[in-house]
Amino acid sequence: MKERFADALRSQVIGPFLIMLTVAAGVAISTDRFLLSQNLKNVALQASIVAIVAIGATIVILTAQIDLSSGSLVALTTVLLADLVKNADVSVAVAAVLMILMGAGLGFVNGFFSSYGRIPSFIFTLGTLAIFRGLAFLDTGGTPIFSVSPQLDPIFYGELLGLPLPFVYVVVLYTLAWAYLTYTPRGRQIYAVGGNESAARLSGINVNRVRTEAFVIAGALAAVGGVLLTARLDSGSPNYGQGMELMAIASAVIGGASLFGGQGNVFATLFGAFTIVIVQNGLNLHAVASAWQNITLGTIIALAVGVDMWRGDLARFVRRLWSGRRPGTEAEPVVPDTPGEDRVHSRT
Amino acid sequence: MASSRPLWELRSVVKTFPGVRALDDVSLALGAGETHALIGENGSGKTTLAKVLSGVHQPDAGEVIHAGERVTLRDPHEAQSRGVATFHQEFSLVPDLSVAENIYLGRLPLRWGVVDWEAARRGAVKALARLDVEIDPDRQVALLSVAEQQFVEIAKAISREMTLLILDEPTAALGPAEINRLHEVIRLLVRQGTAILYISHRLDEVFAIAENVTVVKDGKLVGTRARRDLSVREAVRMMIGSDLEEHFERSETARERPRLEVRDLRTENRVNGVSFSVSEGEVLGLGGIAGAGRTEIARALFGVDPSVAGEVLVDGRPCSLTSPSNAIRAGIALVPENRKADGLFFNFEGPANMTIAALEAIRVGPLLSLTRERRRARLLMQDLAIDRRAEKRSVRFLSGGNQQKVMLARWLFTPTRVLILDEPTQGIDVAAKHEVYRVINELAAKGIAIVLISSDFPELLAISDRIAIVRRGRIVHFAGHGELTEQALVELAAGGEASEEAA
Repeated sequence: MKERFADALRSQVIGPFLIMLTVAAGVAISTDRFLLSQNLKNVALQASIVAIVAIGATIVILTAQIDLSSGSLVALTTVLLADLVKNADVSVAVAAVLMILMGAGLGFVNGFFSSYGRIPSFIFTLGTLAIFRGLAFLDTGGTPIFSVSPQLDPIFYGELLGLPLPFVYVVVLYTLAWAYLTYTPRGRQIYAVGGNESAARLSGINVNRVRTEAFVIAGALAAVGGVLLTARLDSGSPNYGQGMELMAIASAVIGGASLFGGQGNVFATLFGAFTIVIVQNGLNLHAVASAWQNITLGTIIALAVGVDMWRGDLARFVRRLWSGRRPGTEAEPVVPDTPGEDRVHSRT
Repeated sequence: MASSRPLWELRSVVKTFPGVRALDDVSLALGAGETHALIGENGSGKTTLAKVLSGVHQPDAGEVIHAGERVTLRDPHEAQSRGVATFHQEFSLVPDLSVAENIYLGRLPLRWGVVDWEAARRGAVKALARLDVEIDPDRQVALLSVAEQQFVEIAKAISREMTLLILDEPTAALGPAEINRLHEVIRLLVRQGTAILYISHRLDEVFAIAENVTVVKDGKLVGTRARRDLSVREAVRMMIGSDLEEHFERSETARERPRLEVRDLRTENRVNGVSFSVSEGEVLGLGGIAGAGRTEIARALFGVDPSVAGEVLVDGRPCSLTSPSNAIRAGIALVPENRKADGLFFNFEGPANMTIAALEAIRVGPLLSLTRERRRARLLMQDLAIDRRAEKRSVRFLSGGNQQKVMLARWLFTPTRVLILDEPTQGIDVAAKHEVYRVINELAAKGIAIVLISSDFPELLAISDRIAIVRRGRIVHFAGHGELTEQALVELAAGGEASEEAA
């Protein structure tokens, strides 16, 4: 287990970690306010919610599907949770559990129709992106619900053994997700379905079921994100969580998950989430107008996806540069004769 | 040997593909007006050689010489402009267009900027007349018989001022009468000075038409002989080498008890009432031409295509084959024809590829034991002599033979009783083929019933205990080991109905 963990870190997590550090260093150089402990804490708190939603995005992407509805599901969760607690007098704990179940249920809807129903998930979740947010508006008539309950505060701002709770949530959920993906049969099947759907089917895997479960997990985690956001802001609003789905997807992709499916690591996604939040924080510190923030974020997402799509070409390009001085050494990496070559092309 | 200087010559040509050396130091000379046959088993490099001559493949080493001058054929177009025409196994005709349009496809004669249909028709008639056939140039190609379509194909080549015609397995879809007709046309062309490269594994045809015979085996040149100095027997020995029997030796492992019984199986996808049984340790070969329904039988047995009627029993117990997972639970396993598209997970290393269908086998409580996975995979890799590098790297980088052995290993992790192998040796080199045969032998010795689908007929004849001939989704004939010759198998598979079937 230890060896496996070390392997995973070496191969997939180091890159995104370095990207995060580079971005952080860049922001720190550009403004000395970045490293203020209050700011760093802020970054961490904000990143925790994105990071949790991004776990779900990663799992769905691993099955070669996409979930565009998570940001809207976050908004719907904040509104319903606030409504239940403030107006229907449901206890915070019960309401939170209900929300997570609802998230799982709506994730099931996403998964069911995009696998068994054969509607491409990109289109179907684009539909639920609009529907979930529409439902959030419907519930409140468009007005946010403020000052929900003092009981919400400790969910987000509390501490466990001196550690801030969001940190604990992130560590626990990421560890669970990693163990699920690495050490359970279902986790293995998730990678298999994303890697080669036809082969997965011929290996006896129920492809539709695996995909549906991935969406259920993603829905539940988006609801967890919604609960935490409600607790953090002590309010619910149909306008919360705008663009969160893109940040979650970008976290996964910056973390090296392939949108073709079958490749990715959740811990790498964590660094992806931090990278994005740090960029956003840097722009805030420089008081960049929100229009430009959107443009920047969009560009980063497009580039990250581009790098994923062009990976093969980029690798070939780099290899060509590498072997430029030694003509004739640029062999196709299919059956290398020297064992030493192994590491170079290995992507898994 | 019509002229002293050959029209086309290959000198020491080498062509390598990932994992396979398709051509290794092969030389060949063709004179104008010469019919030269190229023979060899499947995968021996015949088609690759033809593709080098027609500009599809560029040799890694060696020379291509045209009329004494060294040339580089960068693409098929360049070969065409030097007079090379290829007549493919698959037709390159457009069925919806007329005969004349097909003959002049992509280069219709123009007059005043518009198509000169009259000229196209005249040209088509003239080209067909050289073949001594009469086909209405305005007829739609789809309405022609297979033989007529072949003539159109050849006429297309003639109208391009061809000096070398390459025919790659031209008779695969033809009946005996049509084959004779084609041979007449070839003789006609030879008299007109065309060089012919005739690729086939049907020796009777080769001996009927060729002036010289070149034999290749495993990508290497075995030799070139004048036909009159060569006997069929000798040619066979050159094709298959002397050690064939030794390698193909099947140990007698078949026992009485039936493992798999199939009764009147039907699907909507080309399986029309198939019944057979396979005993413990028996290898049942399914022979037939492409499209006969063999792969579809495999898909039905594995629960991929739903069956609409029939019964399947494994060890006497009826099983419902509604999904691959049901089939796997019943002990049925399938190694699919296209291992890259339907078999391998390139995002996994070797061990994960081997265990994916049997994750319970490496489970401890709710979790997978990766240590156990690795340990058991390592043992299997030793057993099957799989490249050790498969352990820690993506199977994408393995050779075809190693990839196929990884697929076999996958089904050794499950409690397999019936193993269906669909073209298991396609595209892998000879050493790996023998490895696969060895594994098949071992599995049979363990009592597994094996259903083998192979278009490599010598292979099918050698390793099957029994052969079932499949035609149009039915089994039309059973034969025991040694009861069939390759010739008989080919005839039974085609059944004299091939031309109808392809039309």
